[in-house]
Amino acid sequence: MEREFRQLALRRLLMMLALLLALVVSLLLDLQAGPANLSLLQIMQGLWEPQALELRHRIILLDVRLPDALIALAVGAALGLSGIETQTVLNNPLASPYTLGVSAFAGFGASIAIVLVPASLGWGHAVMLPLLALASALVCGALVLLFSQLTGGARESVILFGMALFFLGTALTSAMQYIATSEAVDQIVFWTIGDLTRAGWPEVIIVSLCFVLVLPFSLRHVWVLTLIRAGEEQARSLGLDMNRIRMWVLLRVSILCAFAVCFVGAIGFVGLIGPHIARILLGEDHRFLVPGAALCGALILSLASFLSKAILPGVIIPVGIITSLVGVPVFLALIIGQGRRI
Amino acid sequence: MSGLQVSDIQVFYGRTQRLFGASLPDLQPGDVLGLLGANAAGKSTLMRTLAGQQPYQGRIRFYGQDQRQRSQREWLALVGFMPQTPPQESALRPYELLWSAARALGMALSDSALTARIESLLQRLGLAEYALAPLYSLSGGKRQLVGLALALIREPQLLLLDEPTSALDLHWRMIVLDLVQEKVQAEGAIAVASIHDLDLAARYCNKLVMLEQGRVVAAGPVRDVLTPANIARVFKVEAQVVPGALGYPQVQVVRPIRHPV
Repeated sequence: MEREFRQLALRRLLMMLALLLALVVSLLLDLQAGPANLSLLQIMQGLWEPQALELRHRIILLDVRLPDALIALAVGAALGLSGIETQTVLNNPLASPYTLGVSAFAGFGASIAIVLVPASLGWGHAVMLPLLALASALVCGALVLLFSQLTGGARESVILFGMALFFLGTALTSAMQYIATSEAVDQIVFWTIGDLTRAGWPEVIIVSLCFVLVLPFSLRHVWVLTLIRAGEEQARSLGLDMNRIRMWVLLRVSILCAFAVCFVGAIGFVGLIGPHIARILLGEDHRFLVPGAALCGALILSLASFLSKAILPGVIIPVGIITSLVGVPVFLALIIGQGRRI
Repeated sequence: MSGLQVSDIQVFYGRTQRLFGASLPDLQPGDVLGLLGANAAGKSTLMRTLAGQQPYQGRIRFYGQDQRQRSQREWLALVGFMPQTPPQESALRPYELLWSAARALGMALSDSALTARIESLLQRLGLAEYALAPLYSLSGGKRQLVGLALALIREPQLLLLDEPTSALDLHWRMIVLDLVQEKVQAEGAIAVASIHDLDLAARYCNKLVMLEQGRVVAAGPVRDVLTPANIARVFKVEAQVVPGALGYPQVQVVRPIRHPV
């Protein structure tokens, strides 16, 4: 038994290495895709020794493509991590940062900025948009937490309250669209689809930092999270304070998710599909599943970013469209394949 | 000194009272107490109360010390509680579950000691070949056995089993109760189990308590509690209790007692 247990762990470790390798390949593909005709070799040379590239290519690689490609990794990893923790503590395979309403509220915050903050503010406008999106998403997280606290943190009520907030966020965004000019409506719609090309180096650093700060807390919880997969009743019977654990997880997940979506918009399905793929590849042992879900999230968004540039040469399709188009069939396949399993 | 003393327990769910001054016979190391009663008699409530998961009025003392004097953590380290619901059908594997539980609970065991404990439990419960099979592929009965292994992982001094055999066939019911009896006797622990099967209760428990609508109607040694009058009152069936060939009393149910029209 013990040998098999260790072999299983080894297999999963190898699988994580494979995922990491796939991530590197995907990152290179993403960096290479685009209209400037940079070869893979030039990309690798440019990363290794930027001075070797001619100035035009250096700017394209370091100031345009690299931040876009890296924010895909950071946001994907953040959404994957948020997704797996949410699914585990709510014991619901359909839970994700989306179903807590965080993304919908971020959209509402963004729409306030687009509609009410005058564009004449110049760079102030560019700062206000993510700031309001972040603030709004954090308000949503706070509301989820407050409500969970009031109702004792029971699982079902958290899920339903998250759904209510999701609808509220969507309705408020619609209300903003109603009073907006048609140009502003276009911008809101574009923001809610989700797009990686808005990000620069500061955004990459902020989202990555947030992920790096949250990850250790998640990793400290891996034994508890694995135990919770036996069911809430079992976890409680061993003395785990499930409501308290859920509050902590929701707190860090809402913060992480708010930072992830505030710059790039509400990118759908990564927080849902990433954890599921990780679960299929890595099983339920959260020692592997937690970092694995982050890896899968990053890989999915990175591949989607590559596809968004590669499908129509010269055109960048907003990445949110790709993740949703690919995400829905994958999601349906997961539901059908999963049968009765939780 | 008694091991477990439970007296005058009252439990409220909101404004509804669920236990009305329930007291148990004093239990000594090695005792297996069976809780009997119809559905909604208060067995699970009493079980959760003993597990420290339910606010109560009354007194629970364990080797002379009041339960409330211990922190929740200290109490839980003494108790192994197996709830009615078995582990859910996830892709988690029994070995992973037991290992993670031990680590999540901060059990101070080396990897090799933990390995030995997990393997002996799984072996004993006939789960060795399922140790690394996903829980969703196991039957309800097998998952119930995994639940028992989980309750036993801390080698508790007080074992609380809520319907531990409900999903099991006769063979495994006996294996489980044999194991419980053996653990209790070998480790000087105390077990409290709610059991639906009266014959099994008579065979494996040395003390019984009958509950009806949150009240204890009979408590004590098996022969004193398992009487036709008590069975008629609590289970609404007419029954005879006869001496069995193996030395345990056996219950022969004659007919249900009709509700007065």
